[in-house]
Amino acid sequence: MTPDTLPSRGRQDGARSSAGDGPSDPSRRRFLAGAAAVAAGTVVGMPAASAQDRRRERDRHADDPGLLIDLTRCIGCGSCVAACKLDHGLAWREDQPSLGPDADLASSNWSVVRTSDVRIGGVPRYVKTQCMHCIDPACVSACFVKALQKSPEGPVVYDGDRCVGCRYCLLACPFGVPTFEWDETFGRVQKCDLCASRTSRGLPTACAEACPTGAVTFGTRGNLLSEAHRRMAAHPDRYVDHIYGEHEVGGTSVLYISDVSFEELGFRTGLPEVPIPEFTWEISRLIPAVAAGLATTLVVLWHRRQEVLRARERSASMTEVAE
Amino acid sequence: MNATETPFRPVNTGWGFRMTRFRVFLLGILGLTAGIVAYRLIVGLGGPTNLSDEWPWALWTWWKLTGVALAGAGYSTMVIVHFVGRDSWKDVERGAFLTSLLGYLMVCAALLLDLGQWYNAWRPIFSWGYHSVMFELYWCIGGYTVVQLVEFLYIFEERVHVPRSMRWTLKKIYGPVLIVGALLPVFHQSALCTLYVIAKGRLDPLWWSMLLPLFAVLTSFFIGPSVVTVENHVTARVYGRRLNLPVLGEMVHASAFVMMAYLVLRLGDYWARGMLPELFSGSPLGTLALIELAVFVALPMLLFLNPGVRATSRGLLWASGLAIAGIALNRFNIVIVGMMESTGAGLYVPHWMEVVFVLGLAAFVALAYLFIVENFPILPLPEDPTDSTRPLASGTDERGATHGHPQRSGTAARRERVPPQPATPPAARPRAPVSAR
Repeated sequence: MTPDTLPSRGRQDGARSSAGDGPSDPSRRRFLAGAAAVAAGTVVGMPAASAQDRRRERDRHADDPGLLIDLTRCIGCGSCVAACKLDHGLAWREDQPSLGPDADLASSNWSVVRTSDVRIGGVPRYVKTQCMHCIDPACVSACFVKALQKSPEGPVVYDGDRCVGCRYCLLACPFGVPTFEWDETFGRVQKCDLCASRTSRGLPTACAEACPTGAVTFGTRGNLLSEAHRRMAAHPDRYVDHIYGEHEVGGTSVLYISDVSFEELGFRTGLPEVPIPEFTWEISRLIPAVAAGLATTLVVLWHRRQEVLRARERSASMTEVAE
Repeated sequence: MNATETPFRPVNTGWGFRMTRFRVFLLGILGLTAGIVAYRLIVGLGGPTNLSDEWPWALWTWWKLTGVALAGAGYSTMVIVHFVGRDSWKDVERGAFLTSLLGYLMVCAALLLDLGQWYNAWRPIFSWGYHSVMFELYWCIGGYTVVQLVEFLYIFEERVHVPRSMRWTLKKIYGPVLIVGALLPVFHQSALCTLYVIAKGRLDPLWWSMLLPLFAVLTSFFIGPSVVTVENHVTARVYGRRLNLPVLGEMVHASAFVMMAYLVLRLGDYWARGMLPELFSGSPLGTLALIELAVFVALPMLLFLNPGVRATSRGLLWASGLAIAGIALNRFNIVIVGMMESTGAGLYVPHWMEVVFVLGLAAFVALAYLFIVENFPILPLPEDPTDSTRPLASGTDERGATHGHPQRSGTAARRERVPPQPATPPAARPRAPVSAR
């Protein structure tokens, strides 16, 4: 899944083709080769993440607060949704259902419990949904004013005062989590912040505290992962062999275990195990080098052009004198 | 840039903007758009758009992506003239530049109005989210628009008296301005499509690619000559000018080779990712991608390579139109079609106000273009002075005939005082004998 080196080659081709004919005399060719070497050096200076880096990054986030959501234990009571709305002062809106089959994240729904189509023994499976709090979040990398940031404690938090409302985070999120206030004059983004103000005081999230069945467990990512593995080992017949969020997009702080395949429940599956921001960074990190190379080429071409123009002017004035 | 040497002249002899029925119609759209903008500013984005959490970006984003790509005409022509040194293309350079400037002003307006908290638009200057493609886009589009406004000053000062210090400054910064103006577009042109690289897994793999930035730069580069061709057809019609067929032919011929490179890269990218079978599988999206490449890239490319097509204004116009439609389709496929499945919300149906807003922006470009061409030195002097008198004689087009002929300006002034003929939209007016052919 690692993006190959194609884009880097591609970008430099693009730079060359837009700069025109390319070098013709040897000295300039040497000069351009030197510029290319400088450019290559800059690229080395801004390296891409390796698989090892990613593993290290994931281990580093083992102490981040997170949630383990055990879908086999959820009875769809909606206590977590009520607690979330009360804690964050979010409205109950008819047009934004937070429970039932049409429940979906929306500007006043940071967390919802959706009734899935899957029924086992006549009992439907419920899916609690909220922000996944990625280890390397796409929304944070997409935010060009740093309104969305991964706080040092772990949760992905949002500062509405900084936000320009471009909604690139909505496009970037692989889980479709951020939502926008479409009916506000000055629309902002809304999304779960993993109760950052509570968790920083050592309290569990409102949803985890309110859950009467233990379907939502609050803890550190590392502990929750071991707990998930323990439950799956104790009941291998019950759980599907997949912890959703363990590897998806480089790992998330919210983890799911289930007795029904995640695809059937409407989860976005088939996500890359590479953090989404790396795809873009693979390209963006080349910018300084490409810019340096391109600027050099343009300056060289400009000077050559000025020489041609000057020579032309000289010969024109000489013809004039001759006449 | 010495005013006495420049072969460019405004169409009008004095200041002015003649109204025709078509221009009144454009102004009407513009007025309606102003109302929509006011409505959007009062009630927010949910009012005049059908955007949703499933479709956070749709029609306006498509229009911005398309608009910037087409406005690339300015920088590609500029690079060829000033950095490659193709002097013969100079005739069309200012027109291309003007199209580009207006295109960018339009996109900047659209970008600003598309922001939920637009009053925060200054924040990226201080808060650097440099990991975001949007950051690159913000700086390069903003910077390039400023550079283009400065570039316009060189035209402005030929027409309007400016302080000598300003003239001196402009002369001193000419080189750096052109170099920065050639550098920045490469980055935001690429960035506009790189935006969708983060939609990995959401954008259909038929359009998602790590090469998206390269595709974007190549398309913006090869579409320039087509845009210049269409723009020259419009001015030829409206002002009864002769088309510069040799230069336009040379330009589109050059663009055909960039199109070829683009085509090879697109197919090579499909091949490398094992997507070629999907292209020929007969699935709706695969077929659409195939049509995009075959009908809207390969076909205009072949037409541009054909000397017979390049020799006729009709052939040039049709092939260029096809290539431009191809860019619009490609961006539409990225922004709308390719995102349909992952949004799960079906095809995006825009609100009527969204559509009018897009038309209003286009009307702004058209009106501003006509105004500036008529009042500033954008168009070159017609090569043969006798040409410019002919439309006058035939009486079908009194505009465009007066410039550069002081001895005729008296006649022209008298003609101007005559009550205007039944106003026909310039585009619909029967062609003057020498126009466009």
